[in-house]
Amino acid sequence: MSFVVAKNLTRNYDLSDPLIVRALTMRPKRILTAVDDVNFSIEKGTTYALVGESGSGKSTIAKMAVGLLKPSVGTLIVDGKNLNDPALAREDQLALRRRIQMVFQSPYASLNPRWRVGDIIAEPIKAFCLIDGIKAQSMRVSELLEQVGLAPSDATKYPHEFSGGQRQRISIARALSSQPEVIVCDEPTSALDVSVQAQVLNLLKALQKEYALTYLFITHDLAVVSTMANKIGVLNKGRLVEEQSPAGLFSRPQQDYTKMLLNAAPSINFD
Amino acid sequence: MSENLLEIKNIDVTFKTRHGILKAIDNLSLSVNKGEILGLVGESGAGKSMTGAAILGLIDPPGRLSSGQIWYKGQRIDQAPETIRGHEISMIFQDPLVSLNPLRRIGDQLVETILTHMPITKYEAIERARKGLEEVGIDPERINAYPHTFSGGMRQRVVIALALAPEPALIIADEPTTALDVSVQAQILDLLKRLCRERGTSIILVTHDMGVIAETTDRVGVLYAGRLAEIGDTRDILTNPKHPYTKGLVASTPRIDASSFDKTLYQISGSMPKLDAMPCGCAFHPRCEFVLDKCRSDIPSIIANRAACWLLDKEESLL
Ligand SMILES: Nc1ncnc2c1ncn2[C@@H]1O[C@H](COP(=O)(O)OP(=O)(O)OP(=O)(O)O)[C@@H](O)[C@H]1O
Ligand SMILES: Nc1ncnc2c1ncn2[C@@H]1O[C@H](COP(=O)(O)OP(=O)(O)O)[C@@H](O)[C@H]1O
Ligand code: SF4
Ligand SMILES: [Mg+2]
Ligand SMILES: [Mg+2]
Repeated sequence: MSFVVAKNLTRNYDLSDPLIVRALTMRPKRILTAVDDVNFSIEKGTTYALVGESGSGKSTIAKMAVGLLKPSVGTLIVDGKNLNDPALAREDQLALRRRIQMVFQSPYASLNPRWRVGDIIAEPIKAFCLIDGIKAQSMRVSELLEQVGLAPSDATKYPHEFSGGQRQRISIARALSSQPEVIVCDEPTSALDVSVQAQVLNLLKALQKEYALTYLFITHDLAVVSTMANKIGVLNKGRLVEEQSPAGLFSRPQQDYTKMLLNAAPSINFD
Repeated sequence: MSENLLEIKNIDVTFKTRHGILKAIDNLSLSVNKGEILGLVGESGAGKSMTGAAILGLIDPPGRLSSGQIWYKGQRIDQAPETIRGHEISMIFQDPLVSLNPLRRIGDQLVETILTHMPITKYEAIERARKGLEEVGIDPERINAYPHTFSGGMRQRVVIALALAPEPALIIADEPTTALDVSVQAQILDLLKRLCRERGTSIILVTHDMGVIAETTDRVGVLYAGRLAEIGDTRDILTNPKHPYTKGLVASTPRIDASSFDKTLYQISGSMPKLDAMPCGCAFHPRCEFVLDKCRSDIPSIIANRAACWLLDKEESLL
């Protein structure tokens, strides 16, 4: 079995008016299926990219993958363990959570502005009781900062003292701090300039090689995943409409929607 | 030579702060020809939006245009930019909600803009508004709709219709598609290109996306830390960049290409300097692989009408 498996992943949102209003207006319930029966699997140490336009359900899948959101139907299985198994004991669930971390799109919104960088990075270490003792914890934080190309002295600073790219490095250090095996990256470079994006993508790749990390990489930009993805899944209105290797997808897209995405992507190549 | 519609000559935009005087734009010169799309590209904070604001006289205090001149159709406008703002030169912002009033019907907003700039009757203005909507691909029957009933892409098209309504000769579009899906982006960029072709409108297109530059612009200026690093024909610049910063930008742009899998992207080390910590000499020198002694002390100006880089000086003297 693959390391990460999404099975019949489905998420509905109830957009209906409150019951009383519905009763008065006789309008039916309105249900939006943001993610509709999505299946995919990811081998250990590889990257699976999900691409699609705004509202296609990418972030909804990301949140279900890290357990921030419950699927309406279906589940995520990591290393053979069912993330959404109600019978799972609390400590087993916690142990599973530790192994899956997330890097968010906005390096501005996702870091608490009132916390020092060191505390932000140490938070998962404390939450999962991974290292005892302040001293050992701060040594681990220094190590993580260096791993993402920042300096140990940065631990005492606040997020606003960093640029967008540096903040995204801080997010990555935080994600790494619980020694996860799976990292879900939701548009990790969309808010960054190309030059900074290249730095962050290269960092993610180097970390993957070093720790055999498994990535679920979410983006709307096909060019970004061409360097990263072993497999690309195309999401359209909550449904996975196509899945291929980058080579296959770029040369022989099967669905009209995929062709449209490829055609519309602005390209720096002159042909 | 083609006709210069707009000419910016050696402008500085400065901010008086506690840390002294900061230069957000430093000695910038460029021109826009009639009917062309000029791209402005560079990292966030490079001064792209500030350049647009300077042209329209929209720099917020404590910032100000502290030196240089701006000429439009042979007239100096930096002293009285309000005479051309909106009417001759209009602006499209990244966020359509900056330009649209959420509480008013789009038709009313269009008609009002038209009436403030044109001596026509209300009836004629309504007709124009309907035509304007049609031109940007929105059903004129929706003239009485409110902005929130439109998708992001449709709202941005309404904003473009608003910007076009007074029939300006120049549009400054600041990241007009950055927040939109690629499919909608492609439609809007096509629309802007069509306008240039059909009406001879000129556009300054501000973006940080090299792909958008490649597909949309005729010429491009690359900004770095408030200074012009390189300028020229878009194809020329992207296929044969001269300035090391431009080279870095082009090389670090990922391409939709199966052969790029597992390749490390080129990366420019470090980051753009803050305005209060500008290095001496060439602002790019701490990040430059080709740095010469001279680069650390002397600021290069544009050489050979192309790039502000001492390497070109060397190249020239070898010729
Ligand atoms: N809490 C919620 N309540 C109701 N609808 C929601 C909620 N969260 C998401 N949705 C809807 O679910 C769909 C998928 O949203 P999602 O955030 O997953 O999109 P996305 O693919 O990540 O888009 P983007 O590229 O804009 O980030 C959208 O139609 C969205 O409006
Ligand atoms: N009120 C201000 N005070 C000081 N500096 C400012 C102010 N507003 C903008 N700047 C600076 O001017 C520079 C150019 O900004 P801007 O034109 O918005 O960049 P871009 O659009 O290229 O991202 C930046 O370094 C920015 O920090
Ligand atoms: S002037 Fe010197 S430092 Fe600046 S870009 Fe050219 S070679 Fe590099
Ligand atoms: Mg999202
Ligand atoms: Mg800007």
